[in-house]
Amino acid sequence: MRSPSRWVALALGASTLASLALFGVYLGGGDPQAEGVLLFVALGGVGAALMIWARFLMPEVRDRTQPRHHGPEPAQELEGAAETVTRGVEEMRRRRFLFRLLLGAAAALGVAAIFPIRSLGRAPGSSLFHTHWRAGDRLVDEEGAPITRDTLEVDSFTTVFPEHSPGSADSQAVLIRVQPGTLRLPPDRAAGAPDGYVVYSKICTHAGCALGLYLAAVQQLRCPCHQSTFDVLDGARPVYGPAPRPLPQLPISIEGDGTIRATGDFPEPVGPSFWDLST
Amino acid sequence: MTSGRRNRAPSLALWIGLFLAVGGLVWSFRPTASNAQTQLEAEGQQLYAASCSTCHGLTADGTANGPSLQGVGPAAVDFMLSSGRMPLADPGQQPVRQEPRFTDDQIAALVAYVRSIAPGGPEIPDVDTARGELPRGFQLFLNNCSGCHGAAGIGDSVGGGQIAPSLYPPNATQIGEAIRIGPGVMPRFGENDLSRSDVDSIARYLEWVRDNGDEGGFQLGRVGAVAEGLIALAVGLGSLVLVLRLTGAKE
Amino acid sequence: MIVKRFVEGMDDRLEGTSFIQRNLKKVFPDHWSYMLGEIALYSFVLLVLTGTFLSFFYIASPALVTYDGPYAPLHGQTVSAAYDSVMRISFEVQAGLVMRQIHHWAALLFMSAIGFHLLRVFFTGAFRRPREVSWVIGVGLLLTGIAAGFSGYSLPDDSLSGAGLRIAYSVILSIPFVGTWIAYLFFGGEFPGPEILNRLLILHVFIVPLLLIAQLGAHLGVVWHQTHTQFRAPGRTEDTVYGTPVWPKFAMKAVGLAFVTFAVLALLGGLFQINPVWLNGPFVPYTTASPSQPDVYVGWLEGLLRLWPNWEFEVFGHTIGELFLPGVVVPGVLFTALAAWPFIEARVGGDHEWHNFSQRPREAPVRAGIGAAAIALFTVLVLAGGNDVVAKYLNVEVDHLNVILRWLLLIAPVVAGGLTWWICRDLDKTDDHPIAVPARVRFRRNVVGGFDRESDEPPSAGIEKAPES
Repeated sequence: MRSPSRWVALALGASTLASLALFGVYLGGGDPQAEGVLLFVALGGVGAALMIWARFLMPEVRDRTQPRHHGPEPAQELEGAAETVTRGVEEMRRRRFLFRLLLGAAAALGVAAIFPIRSLGRAPGSSLFHTHWRAGDRLVDEEGAPITRDTLEVDSFTTVFPEHSPGSADSQAVLIRVQPGTLRLPPDRAAGAPDGYVVYSKICTHAGCALGLYLAAVQQLRCPCHQSTFDVLDGARPVYGPAPRPLPQLPISIEGDGTIRATGDFPEPVGPSFWDLST
Repeated sequence: MTSGRRNRAPSLALWIGLFLAVGGLVWSFRPTASNAQTQLEAEGQQLYAASCSTCHGLTADGTANGPSLQGVGPAAVDFMLSSGRMPLADPGQQPVRQEPRFTDDQIAALVAYVRSIAPGGPEIPDVDTARGELPRGFQLFLNNCSGCHGAAGIGDSVGGGQIAPSLYPPNATQIGEAIRIGPGVMPRFGENDLSRSDVDSIARYLEWVRDNGDEGGFQLGRVGAVAEGLIALAVGLGSLVLVLRLTGAKE
Repeated sequence: MIVKRFVEGMDDRLEGTSFIQRNLKKVFPDHWSYMLGEIALYSFVLLVLTGTFLSFFYIASPALVTYDGPYAPLHGQTVSAAYDSVMRISFEVQAGLVMRQIHHWAALLFMSAIGFHLLRVFFTGAFRRPREVSWVIGVGLLLTGIAAGFSGYSLPDDSLSGAGLRIAYSVILSIPFVGTWIAYLFFGGEFPGPEILNRLLILHVFIVPLLLIAQLGAHLGVVWHQTHTQFRAPGRTEDTVYGTPVWPKFAMKAVGLAFVTFAVLALLGGLFQINPVWLNGPFVPYTTASPSQPDVYVGWLEGLLRLWPNWEFEVFGHTIGELFLPGVVVPGVLFTALAAWPFIEARVGGDHEWHNFSQRPREAPVRAGIGAAAIALFTVLVLAGGNDVVAKYLNVEVDHLNVILRWLLLIAPVVAGGLTWWICRDLDKTDDHPIAVPARVRFRRNVVGGFDRESDEPPSAGIEKAPES
């Protein structure tokens, strides 16, 4: 590099100017792009200056070879160190009873110290088996407005919640309206999906994302996270992707005035699988 | 004035009344849209026969190559034609947005004609983004649309051989039409679910986010972590490895 | 003068002269690939600096507030205090957005540099005895880095980070016996729970940085103590190291590189948008947008989750959830194998010698093949993690792409590994560098006006010509 000192000076000069300009940008209200570019020049100028200086202006050091003064430890010294440590432990273990008491006390203290960690969480209990849905709950949207049979057209869908907990994470469900008579549900499930209205849990049984994709033309519900796909007409059975279980169906009934109510909670746990799922 | 006026011609009032009666009768027989084809429809019929009937049938009842248009609504016809998705050259292909084949007047003609032979279905919505509210549009969009179309409306693969397209090219009317008709695999949303002002708001948000929201710099297609990872490796690590190669020993 | 006085004063009290002398004169080899670890270190420094700034403004609370900042689409909307604080940082705090973006880009660069540093150490055999300790600590740093990144990008409470947290919760749930207990312990109850943001914050700004600094200190200390490896060259031996002394030249270059790293990150932070939380929207548990990808250093896990078949097992009336294998077992096996690699290779190869030379990759063809196979596997997994985006841009059906990716998972490592092994084995037979500088050829005018070719100049010193076969 010709005249490296000139380049160093240039770099440092540009850096200084950029820092001053940065001050101006801040005073003017700030602009992320300008700040980024100016910081780049300010920091890069110092960096480039240092590197050029080190590479081209520093004198070459004569003595660049050094011994590595750490090689494999000779066997005797290794044994010596191990001896020292084990001998110390042996000293303690000579008092056999006291040593064991010490270990016991340490273990007990450790367990006692861990106990407050229990407050971090609570026992799962049966909470994974229930949602907030109860028989008789009216279906509402995320703002609490009631859903009626006229809300949806055919081939349409919306997110529903029990009326006392709109927006609740575990109770989220999708109400889908399909052509009446096209649902292929087993008899015990068909009663809970009158007139082509069917409600499934919105929580994907793979990893719990909210199923937001309703492909009406092929009657599938799809998850945006890992592409698990469920057949809407066939009890939300998984037809593609990593989801192992169908979506639980919420049984509903439609009253004379069009109000839609749940007739019970989901019959299975919602969401991904866990150890006690089938118990 | 004398009593011998029995054979006189009828009075002026009678002539006026007669004239009005006959004129009214003739007027009632004027050609209306429900009774005879308008010129627009006639033009549409010609275009339809040439470009649409092969797949959709002369009576819009469908063929082996294309679905029936009965009940799809003027909104669907206008959407498909104005976004260039129709006419579809190859019936086996998925319709995608392209340059429209017809002018606005021709589209209006086709809409009128299809409306006459396939009545019913959603009308072309009146969408005005100025009437919409930006925050409400953002919220509605996130809750109803972002699953398929992406949080910023850039589109994504949705399976079923389809891609939920980017929402930046369509205009406000097309957005409203798509919401009402549910083209392709998209579901539809009726007025009881997403009201007219909801549609105004969603269209307003999309119009806004098309041109705003990139305070952070180059948006990298608004794709997210995939592009960010690529840039971190290529630009970030790449440039630094270059610096290392320039300043370090190579052997 | 001041410096002299200061050093004399400290030395007088601490008696560290010989320590200072010895260590400032210590030489370090200069090879460019030895600096990759430094890039990770400097990224970490910038992470701490920008992170400290951000931590003064971030609020780890899920309590709902009304947004009244300048971002129009959120005006009047109800969002969590955490999301609101990140919006404030991005739109109202002086230099907030550039600091936030630098912080996130630095996280990506940190993990990328660790990855390439790991590859350099792996392919040159620098993990061999006595440096297994460094290697194991390094794998620990890799894991802690992933924890830092995950906890960090889960803090803004936008829809993307919420999706990531939900998936993590579900993976923990799938663990047999104790999964539900651990998940409830960590989250304080059922997802999402009101405690998780605060806990992630403590992890991200306190526990994980402590672990990182401790491991870094150990890692650097061990390297310092054991001295760095170096490549073979004429005049070098196993018992000596050739390089640049720390003070002043190496230190100056190192600090210079630090500033250059900061500069590149500042440029990225200002010019390239990253994680625009205002476009993603606040997290609500009943909405997930697509595409949803985690940061690239978790992308391999996302790919595993997307490609893994929907196998679920029942054992004695209990369920082993589908997520357990791809989410816990496979990563566990891979990282354990990674950490144990020096010991595996020593046992299988029978080489328990002390090595201070690094190898050229070709000198260990099997290891190079395995490394190439691992890179191929990792790349396919990361691509799979973004399969919907890749499918959109390649204009293919995403379900078809998944088929291709599944086949690639099996084929690509074999092909890449086999090819690399074969090339390395071949290269090892000759001593020429594959991208050798060609020998200079000289021409001389001859009597009749044409050109005669003179003998070739010997190739550059330090590389011997292959023996004539």
